[in-house]
Parts: sequence; structure tokens; C-alpha cells
Amino acid sequence: MDSNQKRFVADVLDLLNELDEGLLQLESNPQVRAPLEQVFRTMHTIKGGANMFGFTTIGELAHHLEGLYDLVRQGKMQVTDKLMSITLQAFDKVRDLLKEKDIAKINGSNALQEYILAAKQYHVDDNPLLANTTSSGQKDELVTFLLTITPTIKLTPDGNHPLLFIIEDIAALGTSRSLMRLQPSGDVQQWLAFIATTSPQPELESYFLFVENECQVEYDRLTTGSLFELPEFSGFLDQVVNDSLNKEKLEALIKLHLERQKQQASMDIESDKDVVERKKSSGNDSYIKVNKHKVDDLLNWISELIILQAQLTTTAATVQINTLTEVAEQLEIVTDRLRDTALEIGLVPIETLVTKFKRLVRDLSKQLDKKVNFLSEGADTEMDKDVIEMMTEPMIHIIRNAIDHGIESPSQRKEAGKTEHGTVKLKAFNSSSYVNIIISDDGKGISKDAVLKKAVEKGIVQADADLTEDEILELIFHPGLSTATQVSSVSGRGVGMDVVKEKIDELRGAVTVKSHLGKGTSIHIKLPLTRSMVEGMLVKVASTRYVVPLHVIDRIDRIAYQDLLREDKVDQMVVVNEHPLHVLSLRKFFKEEAEVPKTSDIISMHINGVRKGIAVDKIEGKIQTVMKPLGEAYRQQDFISGSTILGNGSLALVIDPFRLTF
Amino acid sequence: MKKTILVVDDFASIRDFVCQTLQRKGYDTVSANNGNEAFQILTERPESINLVLSDYNMPDCTGFELLKKIKETPTVAKVPVIFLTTEANIDKMRIAREAGLSAWIKKPYRSETFFAQIESAINNG
Repeated sequence: MDSNQKRFVADVLDLLNELDEGLLQLESNPQVRAPLEQVFRTMHTIKGGANMFGFTTIGELAHHLEGLYDLVRQGKMQVTDKLMSITLQAFDKVRDLLKEKDIAKINGSNALQEYILAAKQYHVDDNPLLANTTSSGQKDELVTFLLTITPTIKLTPDGNHPLLFIIEDIAALGTSRSLMRLQPSGDVQQWLAFIATTSPQPELESYFLFVENECQVEYDRLTTGSLFELPEFSGFLDQVVNDSLNKEKLEALIKLHLERQKQQASMDIESDKDVVERKKSSGNDSYIKVNKHKVDDLLNWISELIILQAQLTTTAATVQINTLTEVAEQLEIVTDRLRDTALEIGLVPIETLVTKFKRLVRDLSKQLDKKVNFLSEGADTEMDKDVIEMMTEPMIHIIRNAIDHGIESPSQRKEAGKTEHGTVKLKAFNSSSYVNIIISDDGKGISKDAVLKKAVEKGIVQADADLTEDEILELIFHPGLSTATQVSSVSGRGVGMDVVKEKIDELRGAVTVKSHLGKGTSIHIKLPLTRSMVEGMLVKVASTRYVVPLHVIDRIDRIAYQDLLREDKVDQMVVVNEHPLHVLSLRKFFKEEAEVPKTSDIISMHINGVRKGIAVDKIEGKIQTVMKPLGEAYRQQDFISGSTILGNGSLALVIDPFRLTF
Repeated sequence: MKKTILVVDDFASIRDFVCQTLQRKGYDTVSANNGNEAFQILTERPESINLVLSDYNMPDCTGFELLKKIKETPTVAKVPVIFLTTEANIDKMRIAREAGLSAWIKKPYRSETFFAQIESAINNG
């Protein structure tokens, strides 16, 4: 992208926010003129800019939607919920797309096609009467024209008169060939432009509108379809250059063209059927429903395969037979692919959630007499269906809170110098094997003093406790702490923030809160893509191996083992990176006393805003592996969430850092 | 002498882009956010502006309203006006031509056509 395109993107993002505002106003007051005009104009501006700076698909989308809103402006159509949803969703997609830095990718993405189609379809579906009056009805027909352009002023072919360029522009509207005849003086006598185009004649005429005094133009509609498809046509054109236009020959060619068209049409009927069938099965909408159990089974078998493959790789490395190593390496590539594909099968876009939330925001804001815009970003981010289901309730709760406690009433917002419309934003994106969801609002923020006061009142924290801001915000997840001064029907129901946190922990995810008083709150939820894969650090303690989930690890430091022996407890404070850190020694915990190592590796972790460490003997490396539940007997294990089998067939225990209580 | 073009567009990135393009070609540019602002600039210094290059759809004062105001004001009526727009309605184009518009350049444009129209309008009024 060049700097102009980058500026355009920034401007469009601003415009999109205005558009959202306009759309929501339009929705609540469909009879009022100003928001409608604003929406229309914004759409128009986006279209113009997008086409000018080369964002063709965005331009096309804006073009179709602009057309729809123009009909509304002319009173030929009503603003409907459906139109509103298409528009909102379409521009959400545009927002997402514009994050992409490569313009070729933006234009190459087919993310907008669905909405372009929906907008086109909307014309036809909801307004059968209008279908014929709009230009899209005629636009598709391919026609070959002959334009005879005779200048009425003196023109040399190498001059700078607009007409010379208009002829080139016209030629660019389709397949074309333009022939120029010169007068003996060197001036242009006439142009003959043959052009096969889908642009209707009025559009062609419009090109010459401002040079009407300088030329005469005749339009001959030669035939439907493109004469250029006829091999004989190019020979004919070559002749025209030297001789005058042979009308009879041209007629004969047109006749020939029409006959061939007919033949072709009868042949096409057969193959058309094929195409339709194929389109049905390969189109965007071809989904098959599969029982979730089958997908789970598949994943299970693949996890066995991964283990076997790892064993094969290890064996191949020990026996050192080249051919075997090669096979093992290729098998690794194939299993990796297989694993990724299988994991993707179970993933669905969070789009459905977004739609649900939009509704919720609309309904709630009406109920509470607040003005709230809901923006979503990254609705095509995919997540495990189970995870989505588990997260729906908690996220609804967060959004409810944002609207009920976060966003102020329009009058309060005005006083605070904000716009009347508050904004709740849902942003989803992937980072490595995690899905990030950020729900933010621009409301009044969480009062840390109020939270602390309440926590002290309830005896959750000591009155003299010295808590950091993050720690205070963490308190909102404490069971039985709600800062609402009165329980309303909106926030007082359903799950509380403690359940939100519980659910996220259960999914091995993390949640953090940021809040600025007067400016808003943002809640960042980070979840693993699927529940069965673990990306972790493989560590060794005596002869046992453990896996520590990678996402909680801050840093790793090596200290002398002696430093851990100062106290007789399993956990103690150790100075790491010049800060004291509360460290649990796995060696001491499991009473592994044989072969004491010289050094110990301390893994520093960030858990719920608190720094903790565990001490292990040795870091063995990063692994991605499939987690298996432990047998019944070990379910209650404190901080072991499961097990995994390593390449050499041995077992490693997966540590659940959230359950490390010390 | 360098010719000065008044560029009118409510969309900043397009306006700046058009100004830059014109400057590279050796024109001086003055820019305005909307029709009202443009008309004010034009009437304050009618002698120094050789061409008005305006968007069609703008809030407050549209390109067409600007065109009418210019053509109705004797001191500036001679300044040629060109629309640079995505609007492609042929009826609107005809009406604008009747009202004295010099050229209608559709976005996206080809730079040769663009400059040829501008040159032609500046030279022929």
C-alpha cells in the first residue's frame, strides 16, 4: 500500500464509525431525513475513494449498497431490518479487511462477495417491481456497438484534446478496436470504434456529453454478444483500415455470428446442467452436518496417530537408517497437516455470537434508555463449537454489564463531553493457537475505590491490604462481589463475574480487565483454539516429565539449586530477575530426593495477575501435544489437568497453572 | 504563469491526493471542504483561480449547488467548473452541462483523460 492508500484506509475507518452512528439513528428514526442523507453520502464517498485508490471489491460493495439507500431516499423503498443487517455486517467485514496491509489480498479476498450478492439480491427479492427499473437489469447484456465519431473541429492525433482520450476510455469499456482515418492535412477525419461491452448505450453517450460541440457520434448496435469471438472478424477489421467500411460484409459477419451463437446455445444447455450441479456442491453454501461425536472420534484417533508418529521419529533417530528417517519425516508433515485439518473441522466462526450480541445490545439499550452502538471486529474468527457454547453466557454477561454499568445515560454522557451514543465493541482475533476476544466499552469505567471498599466491607480483603490497581480490578471476579448499587433486572440475573472467570479457567484461558475511570472498560479473554491441544514447555523433574502451558510463562531463569534449599518448605520466596518470586519446587513437592541437580530452572508465570513460579530441574523444549484426561482415580489431583504421551512412549503430566494454590 | 485549481471534496484523503497529483503536474492548488467554503474562497479572490474541480455529492452545499452559485455570480461566472465524481447519472450530467459545467470526470479516472479535460477547460473557459 502506498501512503495515499494508507491515508484512505484511515479515513475510511473514521467514516465507518460515522456510518454506524448514522445507521443506528436511521434505524430508530427511519422518517428523519438527515441520517439517511448521511448514510447515503458516506456510502458514496467510500465508493468513490475505494475505486480511486484501487480497493475494487470495497468499491463494488459500496456501489450496490449506495444504490439501495438511493432508492430509500427516493421513497421507493423502506428501511428494513434486513437492509440494516446487511449493511452493518458488510461494513464490519470491510473493517476487518482493511486491517490487511496488502491491497492485493484485500481485493483477492472473497469475504465481501457474500454481501455484494446479498445487496444485489435484495433489489430483486424485496422489490420485484424495481427489478426492471434498476440499471443492474440491463447491465449484464453483452452487445457489440459500432461508434462512428466525426470531429467537427481541427484535431491532430498527437494533440491533447479531451476527445482523443475519451475515445481511449470508451475503448477500455470492453473488447474493442478503434480505427482512425486521417485527412490529407493530417487532421483526424473520423474514428470507427468497434466495441463489445456490457455498458448500455446511455453510458456510452455520457462520455461524449461534454464534447458534443466538438464532434458528432453515431451509435450502431450491431448485435448481441461479442463479434470479436468470430475469427473472421479480425480479418474484416484489417480490411477496414485500408478500404471503406463494407456494410454488406459486416452484415454477413453478424449473421454468421448469430448462427454460431445459436449452435453454441444448444450445446450449452447440456453442459450448463453440469455446471449448475457442480456449483451446487462447490459453492459457498455447501456444508454437511456431522455429528460432533464423529469429529471427536476423529480427533482422538489423530491424537493416537501423533503419538505413534512421534515414537516412529524417535526410533528412526536411534536406529539411524536413512530411508526410515525420511519416511518418518514425511509422516510427521502429513500428520501435522491432518491434525490441523481435523482441528479446523470442529471450528466455527463466532459470527453467530456476534449477531446474538447485536440483538442483545439493541434490546438492552432500548430497555435502559441508553444509546449504544455495537461494533464487532473479526467475526470470522473461528473457535471450537464447544468453546463458543460455553462462552456464550459469560460473554452475554460481560456485555450486559458494559451496557448496564458501563455506558452512561445520554444526558450523563453529554455532560461528560462524550457523544450521546456509547459504544460496545467486540474484537476477536487469533494469535498462535489462541483466540482473543476483547469486549470494550467507552462508558464510565470501573471505580477502583468502590470495588476496594466493597471488598473490604465483605471481608474479602483486609482493610489495610496493599493492592495494585490490577489486583483491585481482579476482585470483580470474586464470587459475591457486585458493584451495582442496586440489583437491576438486567445485570442481576444469570451468571456473575465469578462464573465468567470459572468458565474461562476451565477452558484453560485467561481473562484480564483494564479500566480507566471516565473512559471505559475493556475485558480481554484469551482462549485456546481447542480444548484438546496443549502447547507447552516440556520440563523434567528427576525422572518425571511435565508440560507447562506456554501461554502463562513469562520467563525462565536458572538459579543454583542450593537457593531452593534455604527453607524446609515446598514453596518459598526466591529472588529472580531482581524481584522476589513465590516459587513452588516440584522436586520438593513430590519428594524426589535422588540425584540432586546443581541448578534449577525457575519458570515465572502470570496467573490471574499474580506472579508465581515453579522450580524444575531442566527445560527440555517446546512441544505441541494432545491432552488426555487422567483416569478416574487421579481426577482430583490438584494442579495436574491431564497427561500426554511423548514420542518415546513415556508419559508427561500436564500442569494446570490456574490450580496451583500456594 | 502557474494556473491555480480550487479542489473541493469533503473526503480529505481524496482531496489531498487530487491536490498532490495536480501539483506534480505543475498546478497550484487551493482546497475546500464543501461547496460553501469553495464559493467563499472563489469570491474572495476571483482573479487568482483558474478552475474549480469539485466533487458532486457533498454535505451542506453539493457540487451542483456550487456550480449554480458560481454561474449566477457575474464576478466568477467565467471560472470553469469540472466535476470529479463517482456519480454517473446521465440526467444529472445533462442538467449540470446546461448549468454551465465544463466537464464531468468519473472516478476512477485515467490520468491522461483527467489532465486533458483540465487543460481544455482552463484554456477554453
